Amino acid sequence: MRLYAFCVYVFLYTPIAIIALFSFSAGRSASQLEGFSVKWYGRAVNNPFVMDALGNSIFVAFVSATLASILGTLMAVGLQGIRGPVRAFFDALIYIAVMIPGIVIGIATLIALVTVFDVVNPWVASFWADAAAAPKLSMGMGSLIAAHTMFTLALVVIIVRARLSSLEAALSEASADLYATPFGTFRQITLPLIAPAILAGFLLSFTFSFDDFIIAFFVAGSETTLPIYIFSSIRRGITPEVNAIGTMVMVASLILLIIAQLILRGGAKPKR
Amino acid sequence: MLKSNLDMGNEAYTERAVASASIAELNDVSKLFGTVQAVSDMNLRIAQGEFLSFLGPSGCGKTTALRMLAGFETPTTGKVLIDGRDVSTLEPYKRPVNMVFQSYALFPHLTVGRNIAYGLKQRRPKIDSKSIDDKVTHALETVRLSGFENRRIWEMSGGQQQRVALARAIVNEPKLLLLDEPLAALDRKLRKEMQIELQDLQRDLGITFVLVTHDQEEALSLSDRICVMRAGRIVQTGTPQDLYDQPNSRYVADFVGTSNFFDGLVNQINGSTGSISLRGGRIYKSHLSGAISVGNDACLSVRPEQIRLHLSGTPETLEGKVLNRIFLGEHTEYLISQESLGNITVLAPRQSDEGLSNLGTGDTVYMDWSADAALILPKD
Ligand SMILES: Nc1ncnc2c1ncn2[C@@H]1O[C@H](COP(=O)(O)OP(=O)(O)OP(=O)(O)O)[C@@H](O)[C@H]1O
Ligand SMILES: [Mg+2]
Repeated sequence: MRLYAFCVYVFLYTPIAIIALFSFSAGRSASQLEGFSVKWYGRAVNNPFVMDALGNSIFVAFVSATLASILGTLMAVGLQGIRGPVRAFFDALIYIAVMIPGIVIGIATLIALVTVFDVVNPWVASFWADAAAAPKLSMGMGSLIAAHTMFTLALVVIIVRARLSSLEAALSEASADLYATPFGTFRQITLPLIAPAILAGFLLSFTFSFDDFIIAFFVAGSETTLPIYIFSSIRRGITPEVNAIGTMVMVASLILLIIAQLILRGGAKPKR
Repeated sequence: MLKSNLDMGNEAYTERAVASASIAELNDVSKLFGTVQAVSDMNLRIAQGEFLSFLGPSGCGKTTALRMLAGFETPTTGKVLIDGRDVSTLEPYKRPVNMVFQSYALFPHLTVGRNIAYGLKQRRPKIDSKSIDDKVTHALETVRLSGFENRRIWEMSGGQQQRVALARAIVNEPKLLLLDEPLAALDRKLRKEMQIELQDLQRDLGITFVLVTHDQEEALSLSDRICVMRAGRIVQTGTPQDLYDQPNSRYVADFVGTSNFFDGLVNQINGSTGSISLRGGRIYKSHLSGAISVGNDACLSVRPEQIRLHLSGTPETLEGKVLNRIFLGEHTEYLISQESLGNITVLAPRQSDEGLSNLGTGDTVYMDWSADAALILPKD
């Protein structure tokens, strides 16, 4: 059994380890080790296309994670007061949203947005004197942010709700008993106590968006995020530069995930 | 003042005093949760400055009654008045009452000082921070926790947290302080200490306390008045003395102190006295309490300490056999089996009589009691 588990881990992590290892190769080939160097990291960092894609990725990840954290928290808090079939219905929707494969979400979002654009664009144009100069909605940063927000929203709702339900109901009651208005209670008691979960949700959302290729591939239009850039450069052949970028993305994601996990763990632990 | 009136046990006078200075009232209050009737037709006046307890077994609606005073539950029917104002549907944060929660519900992300200041900080118009600080310091002094302002909640022991919860409530000088089993989480010794502190605090502050408990000893030792509840209803309200001496039902007599109950049939009523024939054919004359009429099933209640033991019998005494004896220092508790009445508990003072003090398991003994010491109660 141990051996079996060991094999599974080897199988899972060997490719990743090889990528990380080869990113330090000094040679030109991505599949042969020729000495040790960090020159490919330097190359990657100095590549304007990489930096451009990285900037896009960070921007999209930050905005969508922020939106998802705010909307997700509000949703979790709102759902808190609801019981019965309505609640069950929403719960089911949220879990389904997390379980649906990215490719389905990507295609569905693409079709939905295209349909909406087809309706909205001519309508908007009809208000413009010069129809050609009218603003036009199209795939791009906006649609990417929207798609990522939708998906990560569910993650935030689940994380924040777990924290909310572990909070003693008596705390809100005590606050109300001590003359705090419902909003005052939210601001002074609920929010500080669920803040770790919101932050963890933010980091997870950020990581998800930052790493996502499938949804982005469908809805990013002409914009290039880092995963899309990696994908397109692989088609031109794998270089140690791609390995270096991949390693950096992986390390950054891992760090964020570990931080999120630590925050969640620390928040859930009773401090006594 | 009011307290001494209550102590006099002058029922009519007390009622009037309560009426003139009632700080809170429940008028025909009922509360339904779905189909569960948690509280039924509850009527109660809470007097300014008194220490009132809700006493009853688990699930009898004590917490629900308290929560309706606090505003966390809205009565299904009936009215809740505080200070003469109908607050039945008023939100908790608008009510001049404060509650001490069983779990304390201290805010874990705030220090002790900021927990206590919380209520004062919500007040509009704002209270200046200097006087908030003064009040917090004073409240900490009151609960003997001076200097603990900057401690974190989880750095405090259970008893200390209890006192922080108390300070957090009393610092607001509420019209009514509600306490839901505040001592239940403490160990026995600490609970005794806190009971004394609670009582002192209530006397010093003059705030009306409403305590929920299922611990009869706690209710008896702390309260000016006790409201005994059963299945959502008030069975009897009165001073601890009243409830002990004049229970209106077997339920109250059983819940407040301990008693022996002998089932029988009421065969005569004469004003406030009557007679009951017990199983085995004996007839006892005694005072009546509660709703009783001739021919009813009823029971005779005799407190263990009211039963006298004798070594030799007369026609009036009951013969029994000692089943068990527990030495309690000043008293000895006997469990005695009686042929027709079953097992009887007797609490006997230290005996000077050589024979009685040597009574042991299996010995025959004779019992009687004075007619004044027993009560005929409705059987419920
Ligand atoms: N929020 C609620 N929803 C449904 N039923 C409830 C609710 N709160 C209380 N009840 C029911 O109402 C009845 C009275 O409950 P309550 O909490 O007032 O009892 P209690 O006397 O305080 O008992 P305990 O000593 O166990 O605390 C119980 O049968 C309980 O199950
Ligand atoms: Mg209760």
